[in-house]
Amino acid sequence: MGDSFIRLVEVTKGFGNGPVVDRVSLDVTEGEVVALLGPSGCGKTTTLRLIAGLETPDEGEIWIAGERVATIGNNLLPPRARGIGFVFQDLALWPHMTVEGNLNFVLASARMKRPERQVRIDEVLRLVHALSFAKRYPAQLSGGEQQRAAIARAIVGRPQLLLLDEPMSSLDSDLKASLLHELATLQKRLQLTTVYVTHNRQEAEALAHRVVSMNGGRIERDVKAEFSSEQ
Amino acid sequence: MDPAIRQPKRFHRLAILPTPRSTVIGGAFILFIGLCVVPVIYMFIVSLITADSTLTFDNYRRLLVESRQRDLLLNSTLLGACSALLATLLGSPLGLLLARARLPAKQVLRIALIIPLIIPPYVLALAWILFTSSTGLLARIIGRDLFSGWTYSFAGAVVVLSLAYYPLSMLATEAASRRVDGHLEEGALLVTNTRRVLWRITVPLITPIVAAAALTTFVLGLSEFGVPSLMRVRVYTTEVFTAFAALYDFGTATALAVPLLAVTFIVAVTIKLIIGERFISDRRSVYPALPVTLDRYRIFVFAGTILVLTASVVLPLMTLAYEAGNFQRFTSTLEGSGAAIINSLSLAAIAATLIIVLATFLGYWRGRTKRRWRGLFDLVLLVIFAVPSTVLGVGLIGLWNRPGLFGKIYTSQVIIIIAYIARFVTVAALILAASVRQIPESLEEAAEVAGGSWPRTFAQIVIPNIVPGVAAAWLVSFILAVGELGTTILVAPAGESTLPVRIYTLIANTPSSEVAALALMEVGIVLIPLAMLAILTRSGLERRGERGG
Repeated sequence: MGDSFIRLVEVTKGFGNGPVVDRVSLDVTEGEVVALLGPSGCGKTTTLRLIAGLETPDEGEIWIAGERVATIGNNLLPPRARGIGFVFQDLALWPHMTVEGNLNFVLASARMKRPERQVRIDEVLRLVHALSFAKRYPAQLSGGEQQRAAIARAIVGRPQLLLLDEPMSSLDSDLKASLLHELATLQKRLQLTTVYVTHNRQEAEALAHRVVSMNGGRIERDVKAEFSSEQ
Repeated sequence: MDPAIRQPKRFHRLAILPTPRSTVIGGAFILFIGLCVVPVIYMFIVSLITADSTLTFDNYRRLLVESRQRDLLLNSTLLGACSALLATLLGSPLGLLLARARLPAKQVLRIALIIPLIIPPYVLALAWILFTSSTGLLARIIGRDLFSGWTYSFAGAVVVLSLAYYPLSMLATEAASRRVDGHLEEGALLVTNTRRVLWRITVPLITPIVAAAALTTFVLGLSEFGVPSLMRVRVYTTEVFTAFAALYDFGTATALAVPLLAVTFIVAVTIKLIIGERFISDRRSVYPALPVTLDRYRIFVFAGTILVLTASVVLPLMTLAYEAGNFQRFTSTLEGSGAAIINSLSLAAIAATLIIVLATFLGYWRGRTKRRWRGLFDLVLLVIFAVPSTVLGVGLIGLWNRPGLFGKIYTSQVIIIIAYIARFVTVAALILAASVRQIPESLEEAAEVAGGSWPRTFAQIVIPNIVPGVAAAWLVSFILAVGELGTTILVAPAGESTLPVRIYTLIANTPSSEVAALALMEVGIVLIPLAMLAILTRSGLERRGERGG
């Protein structure tokens, strides 16, 4: 396995009309930030969902932290057991729970005791500057606040891997730049292995150590980012 | 690595063991098939077998050769078709107006126009009989009998059924009109006028949904028992009832049911083909559609709306209130029919709750599955929904009226609850499937990735987000169950009665004042929970900040 934290081996996935992801192999080392870049329908989101376990590969294998988590037609480890934080494109904040409630669900699912949960929730909300709207419902938040809440929910369970699926696609450019900067700072601080899906090259290069370009379900280029946040 | 970081959990499950999700949903399907599908299949089988268990087509031969059967089929089909046509002519323009026109007090108007949907059709029929018969209110007021010939006629039954079902067409048209993407109409407006856009763009886009609503109304008209029975129109449903309840001819009753089942099956397939996946989807367009301006037609629209509202709500309720007389009539009626009212309320509430439990899992499966045979499931739901009440009643009797545990259930009130579930779980399942489809799948995926098990995700993410759907489905099931007559009158154990059965049996030999008081109570019973739901939904949405201005 070498020092790969995530390893995709010849992974293929289709939905009836040919493969959406076609024999993709990818290695991501621990603490690395990789951006999957490409146009709509190129297979980047499906690749991310395969890593999360929300889809099952038709062919190939997926390894996380040295463990084989998925093989042909079979998820060996379900999503909830993979230690993942996921920020969805539509953010998927649970609308009937407050921001605090959204984070609490994650910790309660991990059977953390109630007093410890509150400490951890406060800690994470402070980290993403979301403490002031902790008691509000998603529908009562601005776009940027919803973004922070989604990121807080993704990291509150201390995941070993952070997956982000075009989380800033609906934001205006000023807010996007500001949040990208905060996300880069957060990543540096937490040293989380991160896979970031985007169709925006500037966004990819601003955040990632490596930019993997996809097209037609395949990896076209895999290069170290020119202006990554580390440099 | 930081020891605090969450590590992948050891997770072992034998591939052959069912997951909690498949266990619960599988159990729901077994119950659904046992309670709803088996009685209908049983009817088919019994109609092909003689008393000494040999195969026979005698029942069907009679259907083909007897002219009485052909007349019944024609009567039943015409009643359904004419009611559907008139209900669509009344409901569709109203739906378009509610969706697109600027109307004063639109919300109040919408609620008022929906009221006929919650009044059992036989109550409307009763009110019209009390109004137009030779000794009715109208004859007493004007001193002449003008409409008694119309009271007990095919045309009368068509009008009453249309007044009962036009809100279906109205609601479907309104929903479809709201879903039309405004950009499509604006594109056409660049090259033509508003009226042409309405006819050439909007109407064709909403036609499939309007047609599906018309076909649904057709099925309801075809399956209706109370209205043709009260208005003395001979159709299949009334003949099934007579064959079984009066003559106790089970073979004929089942054979009479078969043509009805065949027609409803054909209509169900047609509805499914017309609307396809829109069957359970109700997403609004993202861009507001073109408004309709009334201009000089305003007065005609106003007069037409008032006329429909008067005929379907005001006049029937006022007639019932007038006939019921003073408040003492209600208290004296309560003394004689208290048990039936309590039965109706308690059995409908229990059944509605059980329906919701079952329908939530069926609706969840339908809302989420990507399997190809979800279309077949839709078809089964439609066919089961369309099975006429008296036909289902005969099926339930044949299935449950036997020695042992089945017999104990059959002779208790439980059989009425089973009848309600069998009749209305399909409606609740469709409402809940639509509710589930409104929740983005990513909400559940987020919970799954966050570590939530399926039961936890279902209880804490799915259910809270479909609460309005659950409440609406409960209320619809409750209203339908409270008003159910055709099945209940057949399966109710000796000595047990519900409010509709009590009204139906009192009509022939009790003063109209008592019957009218009971019918008004029936309307009141369904209006109270409806108002409560409206208040609860409003406060719930306000709390979450989801209500627009």
